[in-house]
Amino acid sequence: MRQLPFYYAFRNLGRSRLRLAASLVGSSLVVLLVLASGGFVRGMQLTLAQRDGLHDNVIILGTGSEEALERSQIDSAVEGIAAASIAGLKERAGVIFASPEIHAALPIWEDAGSEQERLAVMRGVRPVALLVHPEVEIVEGRAPRAGLDEVMVGQLAATRLGLPDERLAVGRTLRFDDRDWAIVGRFSAPDTVMNAEIWLPLTDLQIATKREASVSCVIVTLEAGPGGASFADVDLFAKSRLDLEITAIRERDYYASIAAFYGPIRVMIMVTAILIASGGILGGLNTMYAAFASRVREVGMLQALGFTRLAIVASLTEESVFAAACGALIGTVLGLALLDGLAVRFSMGAFALVLDAPVVLLGVAGGLFVGLVGAIPPSVRCLRLRIPEALKSF
Amino acid sequence: MDTIIECRRLTREYRKADTVIRPLDELDLDVPRGDFLALMGPSGSGKTTLLNLIAGIDSPTRGQLLVEGADIGALGRNRLAAWRSRHVGYIFQLYNLVPALTAYENVELPMLLHPMSRRERHERIVAALDRVGIADRKDHFPRQLSGGQEQRVAIARAIVTDPAIIVADEPTGDLDKPAAHAVMTLLQQLNRELGKTIIMVTHDPAATAYAARTLHLDKGRLVEKDSIGGRLEAEEASV
Repeated sequence: MRQLPFYYAFRNLGRSRLRLAASLVGSSLVVLLVLASGGFVRGMQLTLAQRDGLHDNVIILGTGSEEALERSQIDSAVEGIAAASIAGLKERAGVIFASPEIHAALPIWEDAGSEQERLAVMRGVRPVALLVHPEVEIVEGRAPRAGLDEVMVGQLAATRLGLPDERLAVGRTLRFDDRDWAIVGRFSAPDTVMNAEIWLPLTDLQIATKREASVSCVIVTLEAGPGGASFADVDLFAKSRLDLEITAIRERDYYASIAAFYGPIRVMIMVTAILIASGGILGGLNTMYAAFASRVREVGMLQALGFTRLAIVASLTEESVFAAACGALIGTVLGLALLDGLAVRFSMGAFALVLDAPVVLLGVAGGLFVGLVGAIPPSVRCLRLRIPEALKSF
Repeated sequence: MDTIIECRRLTREYRKADTVIRPLDELDLDVPRGDFLALMGPSGSGKTTLLNLIAGIDSPTRGQLLVEGADIGALGRNRLAAWRSRHVGYIFQLYNLVPALTAYENVELPMLLHPMSRRERHERIVAALDRVGIADRKDHFPRQLSGGQEQRVAIARAIVTDPAIIVADEPTGDLDKPAAHAVMTLLQQLNRELGKTIIMVTHDPAATAYAARTLHLDKGRLVEKDSIGGRLEAEEASV
């Protein structure tokens, strides 16, 4: 089959600037939309996945609170009992990787005069938390010290609170429990819920929440390899200590259950994106119907010259896909510039949109799909007429 | 002189709802090679249908149509398209040039259906444009050309593949008198000098003066054979 030259498709794009603009805008919007929804889902997935495989943590929490750490309350002695009872927990330089923590969602204010209350996800920790959560890296300042009303904030904490990032700079203060707390450090914990949290010494948060004798959970890290504890060991410990009313759950299973909770939201976002993208495809179809309808006679002429229907459909599709590809490129550049890393708040904290290679490929594919689907039905319709009838059309 | 087109009981029917329309009704016709035949007749008489059948862009309902020895009524869609590209050049009333392409590129279109070197293609396109006297406008787009010039480009496109048959549907229908005269003179030259067989549909009696003979159709049948004793020269016809 002899094809029409590419320059035929390329030059035809310039025949109607309005149509070209509509094609470019349509496909770039579809790409932006796919990038936004794909980046949202990907960002949430990565955040709640808690970087599987980096470490093997088990959460010991109160029975009945398996779905919300904030509701959990266990005796603060559990940390010591667990460290002593479970053989094979990770240990370095005499420090056992068992981190007692309080997880709390608390109202905070910018300062004493501020009326707007903001809900912060706060975590009271001891220094061992930095061992149990190796993703956490202090990128500015230092860790807060107990008794000095100090906190450190995650990179996305400002987003979570709906504040500009500079408002949580080192040296600024936040107010809760009727006093100001100095921000002395900033940490990063990419792609984890911790990235949007505010961390402070465990004892300070125990006092602030008036739960001096209890914590939310104890997170332990299992030693890898022979001699290391398994989840079953921790689970057995939890089940054998009925007096402590505790249960054990793998950290990744805990976040997986939260991810499952947000599953319908992700589906809703994808469905919304598909619906709007369908609108884009219909718009593309409409544009192409109008464009090709005015070229029925030309298509008849090409057939009269000897070009086959398939060659003509291929050329018209080439034209449409080329326009869509240009739009997809624009949409991708805009998406990467405007959306990549954009922070989004949700109840567990905040996460950043992630436009990685699979998401970008999905976006570009979406744009090209608009060009493909937008061209084939109009070009087939254009060729439906017999050649003599096509040559008579205007 | 051998026969290049043979029509035997050639019939074309269309069905519209319950009505059968028969623009061509058992027509017999022989066209010798090198003929310049004008087809005249009222609207709906079947002349354009006959032209389209000969050009291979339509297929007969019944009867036989041999063009250059090929029974084109029996060819499938793709084989017919390939046959058209080799044997027929089509000149349209409204030129049908692609507005986004230059004169050169418009003439190049049918050449793309034939395997040949780029250089040979270029030489043949330039020769065709030169033949119709429009070589100096090869880089112009259709919107930059007059109607007469556009039709010249269309004629170059029709002859560039060196087909044996040229079909022309009202080639002067959209032109003023001087441009029509120039186009008809050009067709006459192609017929006389290159030996092209030309079948032309026209409503214009002046245009028939350039043809070797004129056939009249009515209701799908030949009603009169109008043999012109000798071709009128272009100058005479234009008076």
